[in-house]
Amino acid sequence: MSERELQHIGVIGGGMMGRSIATKVSQAGLQVVVREISDERAEEVKGRLEAALDHQIERWALTQSEKKATLSRIEFTADLNRAASCEVVIETIHEDFEAKRALLAELDALLDPSIPVIVNTSTLSITELAQGLAHPERIVGMHFLYPVTTTRVVEVVRGQVTANEPFELVRKFARILGKVPIEEFESPGFVTTRVMLPLVNEAIQVVMEGVATAAEVDLCMKLGYDFRVGPLEWADRIGLHKVHNWLDHLFQETGDQKFRPCPLLRKLVRAGHNGARWGQGFFKYDEERNRLDRPPDDTPQLG
Amino acid sequence: MKILVLNCGSSSVKFQVMETSLELIQANKDSAIAKGSVERIGMSDSRLSLEVPGRKTYQEISEILEHRTAVERILKVLVNPTQGVLGRVEEIEAVGHRMVHGGEKFASSVLVNPEVEEMIEECVVLAPLHNPHNLRGLRAAQALLSGVPHVAVFDTAFHQSIPPRAFLYGLPYELYTRHKIRRYGFHGTSHRFVAIHTARLLKRNLEDTRIVTCHLGNGCSMAAVKQGHSVDTSMGFTPLEGLLMGTRTGDMDPAVLPWVMAMEELTLAQLNAMLNKHSGLYGLSGVSSDMREIQKACADGNRRAKVAFDIFCYRITKYIGAYAAAMGGVDAVTFTGGIGENSAEVREQALAGLGFLGIDLDVEKNRNLPRGEEIIITTPSSRVAVAVVPTNEERVIARDTVRVLGGVMPSFSVPDNEAPR
Repeated sequence: MSERELQHIGVIGGGMMGRSIATKVSQAGLQVVVREISDERAEEVKGRLEAALDHQIERWALTQSEKKATLSRIEFTADLNRAASCEVVIETIHEDFEAKRALLAELDALLDPSIPVIVNTSTLSITELAQGLAHPERIVGMHFLYPVTTTRVVEVVRGQVTANEPFELVRKFARILGKVPIEEFESPGFVTTRVMLPLVNEAIQVVMEGVATAAEVDLCMKLGYDFRVGPLEWADRIGLHKVHNWLDHLFQETGDQKFRPCPLLRKLVRAGHNGARWGQGFFKYDEERNRLDRPPDDTPQLG
Repeated sequence: MKILVLNCGSSSVKFQVMETSLELIQANKDSAIAKGSVERIGMSDSRLSLEVPGRKTYQEISEILEHRTAVERILKVLVNPTQGVLGRVEEIEAVGHRMVHGGEKFASSVLVNPEVEEMIEECVVLAPLHNPHNLRGLRAAQALLSGVPHVAVFDTAFHQSIPPRAFLYGLPYELYTRHKIRRYGFHGTSHRFVAIHTARLLKRNLEDTRIVTCHLGNGCSMAAVKQGHSVDTSMGFTPLEGLLMGTRTGDMDPAVLPWVMAMEELTLAQLNAMLNKHSGLYGLSGVSSDMREIQKACADGNRRAKVAFDIFCYRITKYIGAYAAAMGGVDAVTFTGGIGENSAEVREQALAGLGFLGIDLDVEKNRNLPRGEEIIITTPSSRVAVAVVPTNEERVIARDTVRVLGGVMPSFSVPDNEAPR
């Protein structure tokens, strides 16, 4: 079955992740159906995806004709039935257990049992999400990292009841996208989120204790350990409310104190200082999300 | 005999059927009886087109998902009683394949056998964008035409005669021994073809000539062809070096790269795309990568387009001078490729300051060329001839296929062209 042709991929949910996945899939030469909840939303998602491609052109990563080719392979729709003609369907709606579960039930009823359904999640249990479906064995977890167009790795997650066939097909799909699939067994936060979050939480704790400023903490990690982005700017770019939710979820799931969200993180989220998209988090950003308060030492060194 | 020539790209297959033989080649009477292409492989609306001299172009649109299907469709249309030109597929006596990169392993065109295939496979690392598609096409054709010989013709082979002083870079030597970092050069079939035809046009033996060949198309490269051997060429380890091109930088200071990467926070992929797809005529002018559009913009007074045009021509001038020096003189300069054959403005400006070298362009002749003909465009008294010779890479591939099968394929390797290991 894993010898099956993969030509059409359904992406349910056109958020930041959904758009990034759709773009990558199209650039790998496959046809994509992006489904949103309404025609208006579908149109809006198309506009945003196009804007992201334009930004890529400005950054010399893409040409006009490549943009055209990329868009020509993506269909934007409000019709969930369009997903039924795909060989693989990926859900990328927001990280909410009930919402994902409701969607999976809908897909389960709609799709041929041989079609794998990929759940894109960083912290939810795919086994729990699959519970009660007619075909829970086709649910495979896939944790893409943003931006999907450039990150080379993807976590491919096997739930308690995931069958081999859909799992192998999804691994093949990851390779078609040019990614290195890391095969994992289900566990809260998988590898990337679980390893990254305590580091970020600790960085916030250090700032709260007044050991060093946020800018200094990031500078230490960037210049000391060759991080491309410091942990606090990383959190700002993800969205502090998301980081908070993930930590909280892992804390509840494991009971492990190291995942207890630092009170300073809570404070910032309550103040609505959620990060780059909001203009303020640990640092300040302009409308294009460029960091405004970068210290002079945090600039590229030439030679 | 009938030879099928295949040129497989990432999403396209170009093909020609040539009627040829050693005698026809000798008489310069080998000719194409059909040519065409399959475009948009991998899509549901792939397009197959077939051109037969004297007939209307035939087109069909269907889903062609892989190279094998593309080759299948090509064979099918070739034997179609209405559109085709062959009675049976068995009339094809051999297949010639264009291969982009032959590394240091191939200094000639060769008959494909398992050992050769393995060696081509080893060259994939040098041309990850091209060789895999070439190989895919080769395997598809082998599967469908298993009874006939297949010959591989390499873009790089003709330049294997270049001596180490011209092919090595001034990098630590380990980079050459470990990773084979060196100048390879490309467009070899084209440079060779136009050099041979230029000598014929001059009524001289190729062995007595020093010719600078300018292949100016989508990609642009020049070669110094001395006594029939390439002794230097402008493209290098990749097709990025040398002349300015539609979207490629050509020569530049390599120290700019880490600097730009740091200042603009670029990834390697972005940097590569910038150098290959956003630079050259397009990046400089902001207008187009197409020389015709650039010339139009120049005529409209666009100053950035004019600068791009000037840089394009200036680099050609510079390389002509350099290659004349490298060969201890020059007998002819030959233009070929889309721009080389069709832009009188480029030829005129590139040659303008070269009177000192003995080039006396016949300006009128240069501006009123008969299309598709081999012609000399300098005055009779010009010490150095300038020629325009339309290139025909498929014809070279067909010719080499015949030569390999007839056991008369020369090697381009020459003594003393190896660097110490």
